[in-house]
Amino acid sequence: MAEIRGYNMPDELYYHKDHAWARVEGTRVTVGMHDMFQKESGDIVFVDLPEEEEDVEQGEICGKIQSRKWIGKLVAPVSGEIVEINEELEEDSSLINQDCYGKGWILVIEASNLDEDLDSLFHGESVVGFVERELEVVEAEKAKAKE
Amino acid sequence: MRTHWRLFKNFSRPVSTAEGLAMDDTLARSVAHNQSPPILHLYTFMPSVNVGKYQDIETALKLDRCRARGIEYSRRSTGGGTVIMGPDIVALGLGINVDYPGLKKGVGGVFESLSLVLIRALKKLGIHAYFQPKNDLEVAGKKIAGLSAASEEGRSLLFHTSLLVDFDVALMTDIMNTPLIKLHDKGYNCFSQRMTTLREELGRNISIKEVMEAVEDAFEYEFNIHLKEDAPDEWERKTVHRLIDERYINPEWIFSHKHPRARMGVGQLKSKGGLLEIYLSLSGASIENVLITGDFFSTSEDVHRIENALKWTSSRKENIEKNLSSIWREDMIYGLDVPTLTHAILRAKENQIRL
Repeated sequence: MAEIRGYNMPDELYYHKDHAWARVEGTRVTVGMHDMFQKESGDIVFVDLPEEEEDVEQGEICGKIQSRKWIGKLVAPVSGEIVEINEELEEDSSLINQDCYGKGWILVIEASNLDEDLDSLFHGESVVGFVERELEVVEAEKAKAKE
Repeated sequence: MRTHWRLFKNFSRPVSTAEGLAMDDTLARSVAHNQSPPILHLYTFMPSVNVGKYQDIETALKLDRCRARGIEYSRRSTGGGTVIMGPDIVALGLGINVDYPGLKKGVGGVFESLSLVLIRALKKLGIHAYFQPKNDLEVAGKKIAGLSAASEEGRSLLFHTSLLVDFDVALMTDIMNTPLIKLHDKGYNCFSQRMTTLREELGRNISIKEVMEAVEDAFEYEFNIHLKEDAPDEWERKTVHRLIDERYINPEWIFSHKHPRARMGVGQLKSKGGLLEIYLSLSGASIENVLITGDFFSTSEDVHRIENALKWTSSRKENIEKNLSSIWREDMIYGLDVPTLTHAILRAKENQIRL
């Protein structure tokens, strides 16, 4: 388990630039939103889930996530068919806040182009750089606001 | 030379719900796909009401009353709750790239950036407003504007808000289903304590045109830009027409069932601080709205602050306690503490019913 600047970003996962994480087990890829996203967003109040059996491309918007009045996008980290969705989120979307890598998983994709897709995701040491860059932007804006 | 943004402005006639909402959606799309600079859209609606993208319209509104009174109803593409619109409410749509220089990053940052603009506009008009995290602008504890945004196409963002120049509380209580409706005559008073308008604050009949001009000036100052009045181009006009057909006159969009289950509950608790009466609207497992009433001692500003801290947050006990603790000061409500208030809110949750 890796903690980067106060955010829990597990080593074994892959990360898309638009904040989805991917857990790879064979060709089945479980997808959720990472800790930095859920902390930044605050309480998640609704998840607009796609249908099972839908095909998605890597980088395609496959769902929407509402926190307070903001509606963010869930972007597919890999291409393939959506084979499972987490129906518990329909009852309690705050599972994403409470346990974003466990009970707060969102969907499972049966990947169709896994090796190539994984190459374009952040993994291992590159995750540190990804988090740092995201935070730099936020901190630069905060500093500018104080000027 | 200052960068220019486009300004779509309409204060000569209120627009239909379909036209206004479709135009706003087009703003973000044009910035993302039509190489447009940011676009500010200032206008007013015909008497109407719209609900958030993921709200249950049939639970939120008394549709029969809307029809009887000739009030248009629809669903917007941004989040949040029910919003009443009309000729005396300035509607603001902004399409902007999420990475635009000067626009703070992240969910909270965007709201903060845009609220600074509106605070400046109100200041110019002589009203001291402030940002009430996370979504409202307030004047002395009363809401004067609500902010909402949706992440849209690519990196482009649509920001929606409305400034209350004047407001018909009686209309609101007649067409909206809120737990406070159960309070009958008391309900009117409760809404009045929580909302204010530009005309009320200024004590004069300020025109829509003057308010829009103050908003324009504030945008120009805060973002160091020049607003150039413009009209939609052909790509934008086509997009507006398509969105009107696909969304705003389409019952499948307006009556969409993609929303959490909506429920409401009322809870009472006798405490050392007095009788607490809590009115709770739940959206799935989240608190959409909470109203804290009773015979306790507090200020309307503090009560509103407490209510705001809970809006659109999880209704789990530990989350309620955490959110209340984040803003709590001793004797915010005289003689009351966080666990007791949490207990009262949970009692309202236990009594939840579907409307």
